[in-house]
Amino acid sequence: MRNFEFFEPTTIEDASALLTKYNGKAKLLAGGTDLIIEMKARTATPEYVISLEKIPELADITYDEESGLRIGALTKLRTLEKDSIIRERYTALAEGAGEVGGVQIRHLATIGGNISHGSPAADTAAPLLVLGAQVRIASADGERTVPIELFFLGPGQTVLETGEIVTAFECPPRSANEGSQYIKQKIREVMDLAFVGVASSAKSDNGTVSEVKIGLAAVAPTPLRATDAEAMINGNSLTPELLEQAAAAASAQSSPISDLRCSAEHRREMVGVLTRRTLQAAAALAQG
Amino acid sequence: MSEYAVLGKRVPRVDALEKVTGAAQYGGDVHLPGMLHGKFVRSKHPHAKILNIDTSEAEKLPGVRAIITQDDVESGRRVFASDKVLYLGEPIAAVAATDPDIAEEAADLIQIDYEVLPAVQDVMEAIQPDAPRLHSDDTKDGPARRAISTVLRKLERDNSQDHSAEIAELNAQLETIEGEVYYNISAETHSASGDVEQGFAESDLVVEDTYVIPRVHQTYMEPHVSVADVESTGKVTVWASTQGPFAIRSGIAGTLGIPLNQINVIPTTMGGGFGGRFGVVLTHVPAVLLSQKTGRPVKIQMTREEEFTDGRPAPGCVIKLKTGVKNDGTILAREGLAFWDSGSISGASIGSTIRLRGVYKFPHLKVDAYGVYTNKSGTAAYRAPGTPQVAFAGESQLDEIARKLNLDPVEFRLKNMRVTGDPVPAGPKEPKVGYKETLQAVADAVDWKNRTKGPNQGWGVAIGDWTNGCGPGGMFVSIHEDGSARIFHGSIDITGTDTALAQIVAEILTLPYEDVTISRGDTDSAPYATGSGGSVVTFTMGNTAKLAAEDTQRRLLELASERLNTEVESLELKDGRVSTIVGDPPKSIGFGELAAYSLSTTGGPIVGKGSFARKPSTPALAAQIAKVEIDPETGRIKVLKMASSQDVGFAINPMAVEGQIEGGTVQGYAWATMEEMQYDKKGNVNPGFVDYRVPTSADLPTVESVIVEVEAPDGPFGAKGVGEPPITPTLATMANAVTDAVGIRITELPMKPEKVVAALHGNGK
Amino acid sequence: MKKHPVSLTVNTDTYDLLIEPRKTLLATLRDTIGLTGTKEGCSTGDCGACTVIVDGKAVTSCMMLGVSANGKEITTVEGLASRDQLHPIQQAFIDKGGYQCGFCTPGFIVASKAYLDENPNATEAEIRHALGNNICRCTGYTKIIEAVMSAAEAMRNA
Repeated sequence: MRNFEFFEPTTIEDASALLTKYNGKAKLLAGGTDLIIEMKARTATPEYVISLEKIPELADITYDEESGLRIGALTKLRTLEKDSIIRERYTALAEGAGEVGGVQIRHLATIGGNISHGSPAADTAAPLLVLGAQVRIASADGERTVPIELFFLGPGQTVLETGEIVTAFECPPRSANEGSQYIKQKIREVMDLAFVGVASSAKSDNGTVSEVKIGLAAVAPTPLRATDAEAMINGNSLTPELLEQAAAAASAQSSPISDLRCSAEHRREMVGVLTRRTLQAAAALAQG
Repeated sequence: MSEYAVLGKRVPRVDALEKVTGAAQYGGDVHLPGMLHGKFVRSKHPHAKILNIDTSEAEKLPGVRAIITQDDVESGRRVFASDKVLYLGEPIAAVAATDPDIAEEAADLIQIDYEVLPAVQDVMEAIQPDAPRLHSDDTKDGPARRAISTVLRKLERDNSQDHSAEIAELNAQLETIEGEVYYNISAETHSASGDVEQGFAESDLVVEDTYVIPRVHQTYMEPHVSVADVESTGKVTVWASTQGPFAIRSGIAGTLGIPLNQINVIPTTMGGGFGGRFGVVLTHVPAVLLSQKTGRPVKIQMTREEEFTDGRPAPGCVIKLKTGVKNDGTILAREGLAFWDSGSISGASIGSTIRLRGVYKFPHLKVDAYGVYTNKSGTAAYRAPGTPQVAFAGESQLDEIARKLNLDPVEFRLKNMRVTGDPVPAGPKEPKVGYKETLQAVADAVDWKNRTKGPNQGWGVAIGDWTNGCGPGGMFVSIHEDGSARIFHGSIDITGTDTALAQIVAEILTLPYEDVTISRGDTDSAPYATGSGGSVVTFTMGNTAKLAAEDTQRRLLELASERLNTEVESLELKDGRVSTIVGDPPKSIGFGELAAYSLSTTGGPIVGKGSFARKPSTPALAAQIAKVEIDPETGRIKVLKMASSQDVGFAINPMAVEGQIEGGTVQGYAWATMEEMQYDKKGNVNPGFVDYRVPTSADLPTVESVIVEVEAPDGPFGAKGVGEPPITPTLATMANAVTDAVGIRITELPMKPEKVVAALHGNGK
Repeated sequence: MKKHPVSLTVNTDTYDLLIEPRKTLLATLRDTIGLTGTKEGCSTGDCGACTVIVDGKAVTSCMMLGVSANGKEITTVEGLASRDQLHPIQQAFIDKGGYQCGFCTPGFIVASKAYLDENPNATEAEIRHALGNNICRCTGYTKIIEAVMSAAEAMRNA
């Protein structure tokens, strides 16, 4: 690893000021599970590393029935995975968090890091997409909020500008008749990166489903919503035929690449399979 | 085997405390005062001429103490690439610095200019005439041309009569065989018995297929590491994490031209080897060179990434296989042609191609094998080297035949298996073997005849055979004045072999297991010991321990005879004492008293010696049955049950034996389902645990091990080597189970989900 | 580059160190403090050989900077046994034959301890899943899982 200067600011303002001051030469350190590996490989060689760990307000989870869920960006994935309200109401997110690496990695890795890294394969991305997350972003100049759909620009690229830091994720409140699920295609049971990740969320409405959202990971330059499939399903009951059509629509909306993990064809096919399965599961959970 | 007091018991290992408390000292744990750290500069291309090496910037970095290249290797033996690199990651230079991060930084600063050459990574492309060539003098005839050429050479040498007409005819035939000259060939082997053409002609069913097995890494958990310290006198000391300290000593001597008695190899505790930890070039020799140059101790520890790019993994191969049978399930003939991906140096495993014969009768057999150069690192042994690959081909094909003939795959195998005394195709007669017993044992363990399965579930069975190696070893056993015994030797314990040796000595000397301690010397102090590979240690060192304990027993009896005034013949060892066999009144004397007494005798202290080199080994069989469930949409394979039997001769420590069976089986499972070193035109593309997947505990159920004991006549107390056999069947076991579950036959490993799905769509391999 | 003062409590001892920010917690434990029981198997967080417990949570110490561990409490494999008694998990690894080469063993034992502290009634399936961050290449996991299951029972009954 190359050497670097290490900072541990205690406020977001100070962290942002450091990021701006060392523009292009500084990296934010959250859990470190991506950054430290890249630094060891010298694919990242920051001269300044700014740890966010000492900023207290970044680590809370709060929920109330009015304003919904707020997850501080430094929340550990292991905490998300085990949180009872997230498991019950935001199931896909608990599952997505629990799919990252193994227990030891999830004790380090944070949701802010998982998302800010900009990986199209991030396991929390598809769940946040279907849970309607808003990304809270702060800098020395103030704060802004970006819907998660607009956060990603391409592999490793996000809307974050110089000096900006993701501080939290906010999801609207969810009722007992909403359900969600995340499934990923992998080889190993744990410790695998997503070949394909699909999350679905649905609300149960007298035999039909509504507010359907489908999120796809690792099948396009960014995580994305399968909006065509969503539109087909909303307001309808989930018949096998409709599920197949939705699965096909989700596949069609994906634009995967072939790489050493698998082919684009396989990814596209798995988008269909997992869209169908997660929709079914989400609807079942919504019905209780 | 209840007549034994210590043997056959599940005693805890002799190294138990240090292993569970973190006290065991592995190679990387060695830290010497003033120690420097070495790092490599590695090729960024799979095939290129080296035009220039510029170390000037690196030399300026504070903390850098030495930079070496091939120019520093006075013996001229290839340690670094100097003219041409042959694979991505091949070492070109090494740096020693005061800190590993500084050494890494310096290595990054060394500029190499290359002229990039076309590279070849695929074994079947490499044999083509238009393939890039790694070495010269590498062209060989394929089997058909070779058959003609062999006759031609014979005729040409025969001056007794005129063969010119026949010679012309044969030369004309040669012209007609196209595409049968292979390029980039590193080695070849050929064996045959009977007449395969006749065998196929007499067969009712002939099945032919091509099997592709990927290159996999041994993936020992401790990466290669060594610490070298060269004194001003030239004396070399190397702390090495290795399977064979004596092989390392001679390897360093041979590579660097240093006299053997100037090298001491101190073996550390070793974090797994599986055959991949015998070589000297990866870290030991470079560490010695850097220490020679700097006059300071130097540690070199490879990263996991370096293990993948520059390790010596197991070769992948392509096997074309053809088997002929009668409708009643009698196997008649088999013909195999294998191309082994040797990488850039002539490699391991090709000799195992003959194991395509399995343990079946095969009246007609022909096996041809070629090692092929490709632009990858060289290969080495991996647990029964070569056999998992050929067993995958052989056992998959038998399974296919059983399906086609609607035969029970267990019965079909039992019907054709060799038994004691049967001729081995292209080999000698079978000694005492227990093939049928072993397969039957695993079938019984899962209640094969009454097996049931649900949708997308299937059962697979396969076997693999292996014969443990044998090698030289020496050992001393001393008796202390407190009556306890100490073993001193030089062989490396990875799997619990020291525990087995202590059990053997305790048994013979009638001591409690706890009263036997064991100590390992370095190559300066310990008697020679063969390397810990080839399932050799329990067989070889066990026989050695038996001899050393018997020698100790002799001296104890001799001393007791003096002290008790009784003939040696009337004395026996019992409960750690020497006693009269029948005596009125009975007399006895403790080992401690005898040890104390021995110090003032003419004969001196009690030191038993054992020295052993060779006795015939006996083949062992491993047999496995797996039950799997396939998700037909995602292609994921779930193992529901895995049972693994093995003929171990005699299980000196059943707990350790089970551990071998379980571990080997899981390595085989991994090769079948997920492991694969992947290459593109630039070289290895998955050099880490993210994309080179090894299974975790979450992927598997309990492996049920079934111990079969068919005594090896020359093994210690009947024991056979147990380490290697269990990996041999599993590749085929898994493939056969997948076939039984969903009807697809996958012939190209690993069976990743995508491949399973593709096969279910009808475009599988 | 500026070295940072760092104060760590490792097992029962406090260490006041001055370290380069680029040194991981693993390197700090092994090379600076000299506790070599924690192993480096991959240095990318994928094998778990470097597992230590930081403030009660098992982490891969190769992915954590030494400076980030400032002020924290760390337990390594060396800190599990008391002077005269092994930790029940250590004893179970011996009794059940839960190791062979032993290189992954410290990581497995430490990860198991942290997990059983969190979930003393863990099922076999839960244990197999929770230990998925640790790779063992020798045992095939059967005897490791047996050891952890039997240790869990011993700890429940203690």
